[in-house]
Amino acid sequence: MSSMADTSGAGERTDPRKARPSARRRQHLLPYALALPIVLYEFALIIYPIAQGFVGSFQQIELAANRPPTWVGLANYQRMFSDPDFWKVMQTTLIFTALVIIVAISAGLFTALLFNRAFRFRGVARAMMMMPWAFPEVPVVMIFIWILSPQFGVVNLLVRWIPGVNTNPQWLQVPALAMGWMVLIASWKAFPFYSLVTLAALQSVPQELYEAGKVDGASPLQLFWHITLPSIGTTLELLVVLASIFSFKQFTIIYLMTGGGPSGATETIVMRIFNTAFRFYDYSYATAFGVAGFVVSLIIAFFFILLQSRRAQETA
Amino acid sequence: MANITARAPIGLRRPKARQVLGRVALYILVIAVAVLTVFPIYWMLVSTVQPSKYSMHYPPPLFPQEIVFNEFANLFANHPIALWLRNSFLIAAMAMLICMVLTVPGAYALSRLRWRGRSWFGLFLLVTQMLPEILIIIPLYIIYRRLNLLDSLPALSLVDTAFALPICIWILKGVFDTIPSEVLDASVVDGCTELSAIWRIVLPLSAPGLVAVATVSFFSAWNEFLFAVIMISSAELLPASVGLNTLKATAFTPVEQYMAAGLIFSILPVFFYLIMQRYIIAGLTAGAVKG
Repeated sequence: MSSMADTSGAGERTDPRKARPSARRRQHLLPYALALPIVLYEFALIIYPIAQGFVGSFQQIELAANRPPTWVGLANYQRMFSDPDFWKVMQTTLIFTALVIIVAISAGLFTALLFNRAFRFRGVARAMMMMPWAFPEVPVVMIFIWILSPQFGVVNLLVRWIPGVNTNPQWLQVPALAMGWMVLIASWKAFPFYSLVTLAALQSVPQELYEAGKVDGASPLQLFWHITLPSIGTTLELLVVLASIFSFKQFTIIYLMTGGGPSGATETIVMRIFNTAFRFYDYSYATAFGVAGFVVSLIIAFFFILLQSRRAQETA
Repeated sequence: MANITARAPIGLRRPKARQVLGRVALYILVIAVAVLTVFPIYWMLVSTVQPSKYSMHYPPPLFPQEIVFNEFANLFANHPIALWLRNSFLIAAMAMLICMVLTVPGAYALSRLRWRGRSWFGLFLLVTQMLPEILIIIPLYIIYRRLNLLDSLPALSLVDTAFALPICIWILKGVFDTIPSEVLDASVVDGCTELSAIWRIVLPLSAPGLVAVATVSFFSAWNEFLFAVIMISSAELLPASVGLNTLKATAFTPVEQYMAAGLIFSILPVFFYLIMQRYIIAGLTAGAVKG
């Protein structure tokens, strides 16, 4: 990103029509004319609804009765902060997001290190690894519901090897297992992306560094710790932020597999907003949760912007 | 003498043995990663082509015992999947059209023009892309309800586009960045206006980027689930992403048909995302990571 002070207009280029003031004026207005429809579009469909949601969190909304909303002040927020579920939902969100970040980025880093070595059929293997990322979420859910079926699910073949496991577990009925599977499935779907981005970063680490390290007698572990990690550090930071955004937003997989259950074990804030609004039709309370979710995503976005501007300074 | 000749090969062999061991370990790891990653998809394929008398059996056989394809025909005969796919196609095609029309000028302004507010524009796009869809679904549902836009495919693709647009602009911006400015300057000297230069020079040079934008805008609407499940309620307007789940609810759908439906739904997006992955990933990391 260029600096905000960059005000040199496009019209300052050598331009045969420089002499014509109206043409220059048009040149100055051109970028605004090109960007305006997009800004308006995003305002109408994203910013305005979010603002409406903010307003709605101070109201009591009853859609079914076709009554206009009434102002209730901070009542929704008072209710939310005194709701023990609120903190539980926040905790679940944090656990889910943190685990997906850890699992998906570790898997991404591991596979990127693997794919950074030369081996036969690397291209084919890499294309295969990208498959989960390319798959739409709904079919992914269909596959895993089938794989996890307590009756016929193929995953049971694996766990039945563990001594003491003599029956197929009810994978999505046990809170800890359900959470574990949500994390695994979300990570399975996401890690190829992190892997490919990490691989690109690995490939831009200068080979001379490794050669110099080897001459100095460094072990592979030392090479990794002192050369590889620092070189891809900024990329990994960026990926952590991206992963927190993507996993915080996660809806489809959790909704279709557990709906937030069993007994709230996988109910992240996104799931809670959905359930409050569209299962219990408590729209105003749901918008208060929405504002809480908005605050969380702004915090993540802040970190993203921080990293971006630091990178921009580094490359400038 | 004998000592020396005996020692030399060992000294040579030791690092070689370690190298071979390293290769073997590498291949074992690669195979393990490949199996873990691809197995769920393999299992979907197996469950599609294998009659359910084998699949609906514990323990299930790991390799298909018999391969048949007639469930594809049964799927289309017993379920309105053709209708669902048609609806998905309409939503996706509309989203793609709007997205293409808006993305090209936006990416051009972000990439080639220097103007006050340019970095704010880029930042605005990044932040809107990060917002969870759930935050707008409730207010948007209320707004759409008031405007009588619920249960309408074009209205649904309007929202889908809003979430695809930022990443599309960043993808195309990255592609526009790679066009040397001499090419453009030359065309302006030749008497092209800025807009005709976009049309005649920039776009033909960015063909792969345009395909990537088309891919993302089309398939993000094709794959989209949350807005579709909330906004569409008529059975004849259901898109496939929502329709597929009604198959799960009807317990009598044989597993082959269920898996075949998922497979049919996935083929096109998987194909295009894999081909266009380089551009899409560059857009998702917003040019921060040089791939």
